[in-house]
Amino acid sequence: MSQRSRNDPVVTLDRNFWVVTAGFAVLSIVGVIFWIKFPITQYLPAAVVEADEIDQLFRFLAASSTVLFIYVVGYLIYFSIAFRRRASDPPDAIGVQVHDNHNLELWWTIGPAIFVIVMAVFSVRIWYGIEVNNPGNGLTVESIGHQWNYTFRYPGVHGEIPDAMHLPVDVPVTLEVTSTDVIHSFWVPAMRLKADMVPGAINTLRFTPKYPGTYAIICTEFCGVNHSVMDKQTVVIQRRADFDKWYSGWVAKTKNVSDALPKVGAGAILLTGGNAAAGQKVFAATCSACHAVGPFAQRIVGPGLKGVLHDPAHPTLVDGDSASTDNVAKILRNGYAGSMGQMPNQTTNRLSDKDIANLVAYLDSLK
Amino acid sequence: MQTHDQTELHDGGGVADHIHPEPQTFVRKYIFSIDHKIIGIQYLITGSVFFVLAGLLAEVIRTQLMHANGGVVDANTYNEIYSVHGSAMVWLVVIPLLTGGFGNFVFPLQIGARDVAFPWLNMLSFWIFPPAGLMLFGSFLMGAPAAGWTEYPPMSLQGQAGTSMWCAAIFLVGVSSTLTGINFLVTILKMRAPGMTFTRMPLFVWAQFATAPLLMIATTALAAALAALFMERQFGVPFFDPTKGGSPVLWQHMFWFYSHPAVYIMILPAFGMISEILPTFSRKPIFGYKMIAFSSVAIALLGFTVWAHHMFTSGLAPFLQLPFMIMTMLIAIPTGIKIFSWVTTLWGGKIRFTTAMLFAVGFIATFTFGGITGIFLSAVPFDLHAHGTYFIVAHLHYVLVGGSLMGILAGTFFWFPKMTGRMMNEKLGKWTFWLFLIGMNGAFLPMHYQGLLGMPRRVATYDPQFQTINQIESIFSYVMTFALLLFFGNLLYSIRNGKKAGSNPWGARTLEWQIPSPPHYYNFKHVPTVFAAPYDFAEPLPYTGLEEELTDAPGPQPASVH
Repeated sequence: MSQRSRNDPVVTLDRNFWVVTAGFAVLSIVGVIFWIKFPITQYLPAAVVEADEIDQLFRFLAASSTVLFIYVVGYLIYFSIAFRRRASDPPDAIGVQVHDNHNLELWWTIGPAIFVIVMAVFSVRIWYGIEVNNPGNGLTVESIGHQWNYTFRYPGVHGEIPDAMHLPVDVPVTLEVTSTDVIHSFWVPAMRLKADMVPGAINTLRFTPKYPGTYAIICTEFCGVNHSVMDKQTVVIQRRADFDKWYSGWVAKTKNVSDALPKVGAGAILLTGGNAAAGQKVFAATCSACHAVGPFAQRIVGPGLKGVLHDPAHPTLVDGDSASTDNVAKILRNGYAGSMGQMPNQTTNRLSDKDIANLVAYLDSLK
Repeated sequence: MQTHDQTELHDGGGVADHIHPEPQTFVRKYIFSIDHKIIGIQYLITGSVFFVLAGLLAEVIRTQLMHANGGVVDANTYNEIYSVHGSAMVWLVVIPLLTGGFGNFVFPLQIGARDVAFPWLNMLSFWIFPPAGLMLFGSFLMGAPAAGWTEYPPMSLQGQAGTSMWCAAIFLVGVSSTLTGINFLVTILKMRAPGMTFTRMPLFVWAQFATAPLLMIATTALAAALAALFMERQFGVPFFDPTKGGSPVLWQHMFWFYSHPAVYIMILPAFGMISEILPTFSRKPIFGYKMIAFSSVAIALLGFTVWAHHMFTSGLAPFLQLPFMIMTMLIAIPTGIKIFSWVTTLWGGKIRFTTAMLFAVGFIATFTFGGITGIFLSAVPFDLHAHGTYFIVAHLHYVLVGGSLMGILAGTFFWFPKMTGRMMNEKLGKWTFWLFLIGMNGAFLPMHYQGLLGMPRRVATYDPQFQTINQIESIFSYVMTFALLLFFGNLLYSIRNGKKAGSNPWGARTLEWQIPSPPHYYNFKHVPTVFAAPYDFAEPLPYTGLEEELTDAPGPQPASVH
């Protein structure tokens, strides 16, 4: 006898089985209705358009999982009770000797496969809206994580805003986050979104604020002894007029603030006659240690510089001045020191005025 | 009936019945033993000691969280405590207990082998493990690692001196794991008794077979990451520090390339245990043997393709998020096959609810719950919300406590009679089960809600709105701890005072139950021959060569002394 003959008994399911199965169906319907009706925003407000979409995904996942769980655990409990050994059973009693059932196994492979496909389609659709197709060119804001607080940078505002991040409703926002020390995370539960703030890299979140209010920002990536209390700052979503008032207040307040180091020499650099080809050589020899010729987010130590003078998403430079050739030259001469890192000045970078003129011409040629 | 002469049965490349004399000194018998059964029990004892220590750390955590402002320990000590708790539970408890412990003791018996393929290597694997554990706990003396069990740089680069000790300790456990993986894989491939084809192997062996390559391959990635972190901390070699051109995200890739397969190292052997316990107490063949066996392998393979789902918020390029999301969702299919097969195994059974069976059935319910929240987290948009919160803490504890630990408890009640020759107390066992089930769910279920509402993980103090819910969790965690105290009390009492077990108290059909409890040094007087898979309760046992096992016939004699 090397191969056991397979004579499984014919399986018939009794009435109780179908009654119980129908009971699970009723429970499942109740469960699904519960998740469709559940007032999520009473427990956790939704601040942005994307939060509503993620809540829809959550409802779908919760409802379908509830059905799955009711059936698995329901049958588990029902079989445990119905097929327990009774005192009247002889000690050597054995169960129904069924080995398998290819139809059943096929269906419980195909069933979950279909569920996975539906779930994947649902998730990818929302994922696509958030990560890929989001029209994020209304307002670009930066947030920088520190041990243990957040600061915020806005185009046209010099320096960093320390207390709260204000956003106007209905304007698509591109939020770029980074860190000056260790990894932090920017999580606003009311937005249902988070991005890790990784030193040396820039991560992006795109969303559209929808409901005015004040919402907590919480760090979810362990960042040191005070990680627990890095939850005191807020995102303030407000009507356009209120936002504009707040914003122009900061522009005025920081008008004379500069992040740049003290000037090295007097007078502006004469940029006329800069040679882009010569500038490219200077870039390769000096700048490329820290900067890529790539998009802004392609960061080595500093950001990628392709389009530094022509990127509509980044109309200002690191010191808050507008991205003009003169202002680029100013940074090359005076350097920069602040939360975004350090840029050497002319004493340390050892560039001649001619080198700077060539470099600016080169950078201007990158589009 | 004829007895088989093994040297004849094994042709050419097979394994000759190569016998060494049984050691006589206490040191060679119980300390530096090369017997897989003793080594297995050594792992179980050492792992249990570390479990108690790491469990006490967990209760310090829960007591701290009774109040929103903490108050038991300061923030730095709290960070050290949960970091060591997590590291110890993963590397010193769950992995060694399931592979080194139960794996070593049970599966060589189940395949009819006299030992593992490399007994000396096995001894080495074990003896690396206790010093590594002492190093990890000893790191408290020099400022323990405090950046969580994941130790993400640059945070871990700023960590206290003990962080380097952590690297060294985990590296050593990794070496031990890798060696064990090689040993188990070779043993299963080369040392099965004659007639034990792959489709006749017990499912616990299949589970170890799927786990061994994970131990062997994935752990090397962790070793590389740990070596790099150690070098950066001690010698300033810049791998991860961005100010020197390193990449902190590189660590995350290397760490999770190991640690996601490690999730399956921590659950596949438990799947195997459940697959042994369910048919034994239902008195039925396991439903869908092949699908359960193959799905273990499928899970192990898919397990290598999903690591970056731990990093959806770390700045992964959007088009990389997509494949990791889809692959993660796919794992639901083989896992579902297992769960459905287990539930169906109960149908039509004559189920005896021993403690082992209660834990096995409880495992299916709680593991299913943990698996389902895993599907939630695989969906990138949902993960953007839930990542790094108490929802993750809840999910991982459902899988590791409701899954791995429930499996370990089920396995202990099941195989304790084989290891010691005595039964554990069933009445106490049932109290343990119900208190554990209630405590475990009460402690971890509310964490889902708490995480979704805004409580981040790894915090020593928290928003007072979560205080009540934290107090409820803490109280249930004390219930769970009490259940585990009952368990250890039962264990210690039963070693000396339990009822005599006999060779096969459960009426189980795999090979280890056909020989005396505890088994002889040589395991089998004659290596048996196998004719079929073990789960046909209506058929006679599919083995020959076992006739003398329960008699006074002498065991095999060493032909020569090497």
